[in-house]
Amino acid sequence: MSELDLAGRVELLERMWLIRAFEEKVSELFARGQVVGLIHLGIGSEGSAVGVCSALRSDDYVFGNHRSHAHAIAKGADVDRLMAEIAGKASGYCKGKGGSMHIAAPEVGFVTATGVVGGNVALALGAALTSVTTQDNRVSVAFFGDGAGQSGSLHESLNLAALWKLPVVFVCENNGYAEFSPLSAHTVVERLTDYASVYSIPTVTVDGGDVMEVRRAAVSAVARARAGEGPMFIEVLTHRLRGHYEGDPAAYRELSEREEWTVRDPVARFRAELEGAGVAADTIAATEAAARSRIASAAESAVAAPGPDPEEATTDVYAV
Amino acid sequence: MTAELRFIDAIHAGLQASLAADDAVVVIGEDVTYGGPFGATKGLADEFGRHRVRDTPISEATVMGMVTGAALTGLRPVVEVMFVDFITLAMDQLVNHAAKLHFMSGGQLRVPLTVRVQGGVRGRFGAHHSQSLESWFTHTPGLKVVAPAFPGDAKPLLAAAIANDNPVVYLEHRGLYWDKGPLHDDPVDGAVVRRPGTDVTVVSYSKMVHSALAAADRLADSGVEAEVIDLRWLAPLDTATVLESVAKTGRAVVAHEAVARGGLGAELAATIQREVFTELVAPVERVGAAFAPVAAAAALEDAFLPGVDEIERAAGSLMAFGPPPP
Amino acid sequence: MTPDLPEDQLVDLLRRMLVIRRFEESLIKLAGDFDIGHFHVYIGQESTGVPALAQLQEGDLAFTTHRNHGHLLARGTDPAAMVAEILGKATGTNNGKGGTLHIASPEHGFPTTSAVTGGCTPLATGAAFAFSRRKVDRVSVCLFGDGALEEGSYHESINIAALEALPVIYLCENNSLEALGQKANEYPSSTMAAAPLTDLAASFKVPTITVDGTDTGAVHGAMAEAIDRARSGGGPTFVEALTVRWPGNRPLWPQLATGVTDLTYAWDEGAIPQDHSKWHGAQDGVLRYTRELVTAGLVTTGDVLALDGEVSTQIEDAVQFALDSPYPDPESAFEGVYA
Repeated sequence: MSELDLAGRVELLERMWLIRAFEEKVSELFARGQVVGLIHLGIGSEGSAVGVCSALRSDDYVFGNHRSHAHAIAKGADVDRLMAEIAGKASGYCKGKGGSMHIAAPEVGFVTATGVVGGNVALALGAALTSVTTQDNRVSVAFFGDGAGQSGSLHESLNLAALWKLPVVFVCENNGYAEFSPLSAHTVVERLTDYASVYSIPTVTVDGGDVMEVRRAAVSAVARARAGEGPMFIEVLTHRLRGHYEGDPAAYRELSEREEWTVRDPVARFRAELEGAGVAADTIAATEAAARSRIASAAESAVAAPGPDPEEATTDVYAV
Repeated sequence: MTAELRFIDAIHAGLQASLAADDAVVVIGEDVTYGGPFGATKGLADEFGRHRVRDTPISEATVMGMVTGAALTGLRPVVEVMFVDFITLAMDQLVNHAAKLHFMSGGQLRVPLTVRVQGGVRGRFGAHHSQSLESWFTHTPGLKVVAPAFPGDAKPLLAAAIANDNPVVYLEHRGLYWDKGPLHDDPVDGAVVRRPGTDVTVVSYSKMVHSALAAADRLADSGVEAEVIDLRWLAPLDTATVLESVAKTGRAVVAHEAVARGGLGAELAATIQREVFTELVAPVERVGAAFAPVAAAAALEDAFLPGVDEIERAAGSLMAFGPPPP
Repeated sequence: MTPDLPEDQLVDLLRRMLVIRRFEESLIKLAGDFDIGHFHVYIGQESTGVPALAQLQEGDLAFTTHRNHGHLLARGTDPAAMVAEILGKATGTNNGKGGTLHIASPEHGFPTTSAVTGGCTPLATGAAFAFSRRKVDRVSVCLFGDGALEEGSYHESINIAALEALPVIYLCENNSLEALGQKANEYPSSTMAAAPLTDLAASFKVPTITVDGTDTGAVHGAMAEAIDRARSGGGPTFVEALTVRWPGNRPLWPQLATGVTDLTYAWDEGAIPQDHSKWHGAQDGVLRYTRELVTAGLVTTGDVLALDGEVSTQIEDAVQFALDSPYPDPESAFEGVYA
């Protein structure tokens, strides 16, 4: 699974384009008032989402956070249902009850996402507990940001995962900003992997701009977890090319920092890498075009789709 | 009917039966392999293995999230929170995740989780080990809440909680643990009339049911026949049984050990006055603890705790309104 | 070793340790006759709490946990008011509202006791935050056991303390050495994957010190360094004091497993009984400190016994005071909910 041939790598690029196109479309729809609620975009973190999820089986579990459109798509979520959910429509994954921050696509292993910073990590531990109890050999992944690093629950989770050798991969997407503040305003710790090392959890820090580097780290973490050797912590250095949420002017960001990261855009980098490896420019252009067209159609149907019946506001409170 | 067992043993028997019946059931909590402070889980780790009966660190927030995640993915966990006072540390996971995920996912996800939690006043334990927080749970859509009062109900109610596909908070009053009674496995749905009566309805649950029954005995001595209802399920509430009784008696006292203000009694009182207003001959009375934290000193704990006297007094005050109009 | 202090202060430390030891022993005996609820004793940790806390200055604050009696007594809280509180009397430190688990003595620098594991960590950090913002020369001490490190609030707290360089000392009393084990079918020891525990502070770049909690001099020195760092704006320190859990610390109610402490064991090895000989000979910090003072010629055995006699009388009087005190007015159960 670790080595991908050229065709496999082109598939990764396709998936990254799908995310990029999706997020840019959501941004457009947001500006037109066609999606609901708070929207947190993952433009710039496609390398992390696709790199990690490409190392997973379809029945492995992923738990996302408030910025998880990319994770859901990378895990195989249907973009029509995802877009409809963000638009608050009945045809969405959650019938419009979840919205952008609470995507659940359990049929593809994207179990749920949370709007509470750090809230998904313990849930991922639980799925890992199910795996060890039923011995079904699945691996569980929690995606969280550097802001969750300072939440006590993460530390409790690291301890428990280490104690019980749970098959869980902690993926910390360190984009350098927790909401509106740089990480240095939240902690004196520079390498968030230090949090995991104290519990003897193996760690690695990778460049989120390099999808293949992320993938290699994830492949080894997943293999470890599946072999019963316990958790691993991957810190992915990534970047939000947008503000914390759509509408955030991100005035707290340094321009030079933004320019530097625009160069390190994971999609642009991987595209150049594949061209260098001999993939025809036409083929690559076609991946982008296909993604954009697929997303345009998803957006069109999401916008046109009917909203949920108001009666639905009080259904599904209890499982029957 | 089987032999008489203590309440705590009934819980043990319920856990044992569920673990034996369903491989998806796991028991998780602090010191559960040892048996916890009161012995509810004693011996289960030896019987079912430490992969199904697991001790956790003192990390309530993460443990509640973990059992929620396990419930989402096929297990049927029973988590023990040692004192209800400590569930405050786990409220994010319980309220924001366990309770809401079925709804937020548009019905895709289920959280078959049982939260066993012990609480109430007994033993001069002070304000961090003596609370009754059930109205926090009954106020949260998505949670179910059950509060047995008798050993006989403890086992089937636990089985029902574990079998339920929703998060169920199973409230155990520490003061009931050593009560003995016959066990049974008959299904326990809704409320039950513990003592029939014609003059006043006393609605209660958990340990307060015993105070209500004692108060009814005293009232009977003065010619007042109280009907005592044991709710058993606090969410969903069996209002039909309550309303049927109040429609008959025309008088209602709602009694619980929790702080009266904003408590479940207020919800019941509102429901009663709305639904059977024309049958009432007196306002609905509430008996609950004073609006204060629990003090440790025996004299203060006793003053805080409502009981037989308060229920008798409340029922008596309703009788003073006279008979129903012809 | 003995702390680097004048002789009278060295003897004062012994006196404070004996106050704690005799207090706790009396309480265990009292519990046989009175319903005083669930309680925890500090026996075996006096040589940590006394040298650590006796050197705090007026206005410094300490936040303690369920095993709090020794901490309060180390800073001079009145044992009579403490026994009264534990017995639920009106003359108690909290007028009976707290009980053993919530004893508060603000005039001795103890705003509260939290009986929720890890509950005092944010409180102590918050006090240090206030000291820092108000620019007052005060330090805050957070007292907790190794179990509190399993709570997320510890990590959140020390992160903020490190970030803001707050004047707080995290004193972790790790009494899990030779803890009751699962084999004996007792409570398992703490469930923690990190070792040593100081790594949980070092990862936040907080300086750490590990000391033998039965070594009065070592504890005094470590805390002096930590307090000095806090006062001089150097930020938090994490001190781990290691002790062996006293054999009488049972899961629910303590028992006088090693008997009433006989101070002659400190200088007469032959008097130590077979049962618990390791405890009396090497693990009891009070006996160790007594031995050190006698060996150094700072006190005579006669001085020790005389001091113990005074302390024992003080504790007997405290118990009698509490027994004789009235119960609180039941109406007071409803007072003081709001300031």
